[in-house]
Amino acid sequence: MNGEIAFWILSAIAVLGALVAVRKRNLVHGVFALLVFFAGLSGLFLLLLAEFIAAVQVLVYIGAVGILLLFAIMLTERVAGDDGRRMTSRGWFWGLLAATAIFLVLLLPPIQQWPAPEAAQTVEPSVEQLGHKLMNPYVITLEVLALLLTAALIGAVTAAQAVRLDKEDEPPV
Amino acid sequence: MSLELLTDILIATVPLALIFSTLFAFTTWLERKTLARIQNRIGPNKVGIPCTRISLFGLGQPAADGIKMIFKEDIVPKGADRLFHLLAPILALIPAMLVLCFLPLKFPWTESLLPVQAFLLDSAVIFFFAITGINTIAVFMAGWASRNKYSLLGGMRAIAQMVSYEIPLVLSAVIVVMRVGSLNAAEIAGAQAGGNWFIFSPWGLTAFVIFFIAALAETNRSPFDLPEAESELVAGYFTEYSGFKFALFFLAEYISIFAISGLAVTLFLGAGNGPGLPNLPWLSIVCFLVKVFVLIAIMIWLRGTLPRLRVDQLMGFAWKFLLPLSIVNILVAGFAWHAQQQENTIITVITWLVAIIVLYSTAKGLNQLSRAKLKMREYKYAE
Repeated sequence: MNGEIAFWILSAIAVLGALVAVRKRNLVHGVFALLVFFAGLSGLFLLLLAEFIAAVQVLVYIGAVGILLLFAIMLTERVAGDDGRRMTSRGWFWGLLAATAIFLVLLLPPIQQWPAPEAAQTVEPSVEQLGHKLMNPYVITLEVLALLLTAALIGAVTAAQAVRLDKEDEPPV
Repeated sequence: MSLELLTDILIATVPLALIFSTLFAFTTWLERKTLARIQNRIGPNKVGIPCTRISLFGLGQPAADGIKMIFKEDIVPKGADRLFHLLAPILALIPAMLVLCFLPLKFPWTESLLPVQAFLLDSAVIFFFAITGINTIAVFMAGWASRNKYSLLGGMRAIAQMVSYEIPLVLSAVIVVMRVGSLNAAEIAGAQAGGNWFIFSPWGLTAFVIFFIAALAETNRSPFDLPEAESELVAGYFTEYSGFKFALFFLAEYISIFAISGLAVTLFLGAGNGPGLPNLPWLSIVCFLVKVFVLIAIMIWLRGTLPRLRVDQLMGFAWKFLLPLSIVNILVAGFAWHAQQQENTIITVITWLVAIIVLYSTAKGLNQLSRAKLKMREYKYAE
């Protein structure tokens, strides 16, 4: 009962956020609407007893991806975003087709096991088990991923570093 | 069922909001008074009980300030984004209040409310860090919605600073999580029972110092208060805020200071552990709050003592000093944990000595390496 009410509220928040994020022409408003969507999604994960994924959703998507998007917008020319230009709407048919196809594919599993199973009270993969699995059988994978990400980070810093100026060209401090 | 759950949640959360708001009022008074003494002034000393001449060292000042803030005109700049200008202070307050639930404060009246206690979640510490991160968004929102260059600059500075200092903050907390083997705040508190606090070891002390410095930066406290540097940016991201919206920002700032100090107490200073606890359950809360206030007193003291950092110093300190030091600290703590599994006194003593030497020399070396190499400034036009 409680869960059902919470589900509908969170779904409404998520869907509204996603809609506003797509429809808003002001980029910053769009990003904030996207963050609302992420927050609603994180609440839905919490409702599914996947608390770790919910926490990571907040940490990564709201905390990191949102900030990244905002930084990207601040680096573009028109901060307010609303400059009257419209996206051309050619190809809306294919977009609609792709969206419908993805929706149907996502809908497949619940249709296959139609009489919905009882809601679980606890879910086996708890945070503790997740930690043990990450540290024991999958530690090599984790380390390789960490190495890859570090390499990407260093690469990004190198790529972003400004070209060094010669001594004569140096602007007056 | 539904109503009971709701009342349980309210019983668990409303006292938190009330207690910490009251403490906020007291802390503003304490801060003003302490700063005044440091600067050889008297500070607020007039306002006491209304309609009498009793002044009580100016303890009525926060209430007077609050009344003033509520009745002040709320000014929104002409070019501002009205909706976001309104939402930003609210969004700043919500995560600050929310993370209070993840502190292991065991109130006597919450004994029967175990299912709704957030700090018993298996990932309480991760939730704490995740939700604290939302604060950054509120700061940016305030800076952007004000349509003011100082606000925007302050907001951008705040984001850069918070994103950079979050890394050493989390990495220093990793040590505690490693040793306890749990992200559950209550278990972390329980692991430090009997004076077995994590600060009493070389790696724990290093982690605590890193955590405390990063917490100062994360909450925009002096000497890391660049986002609201009044000599450069008027007031940073809340330049265009007045009245109650400004009061909300102020409240959010102090509540997040309480929250992050509370996390520091939970992780390193033994949470509610103290002498004489088994007989008096109330004492655990008092212990916790006393420790939080010790940390806040240190923060106020630092604010009165240290000058503000430059932007390049700020970033260099986070990336070239705190980050490598916390990574080395994690390695040291890992080795020390394995060494202590031997249950051998000599090995433990050697571990401690080696850890102290390694951490000290790392800090020294990093300090030498990360020192900003500034050239002598040449004045072209002002000779």
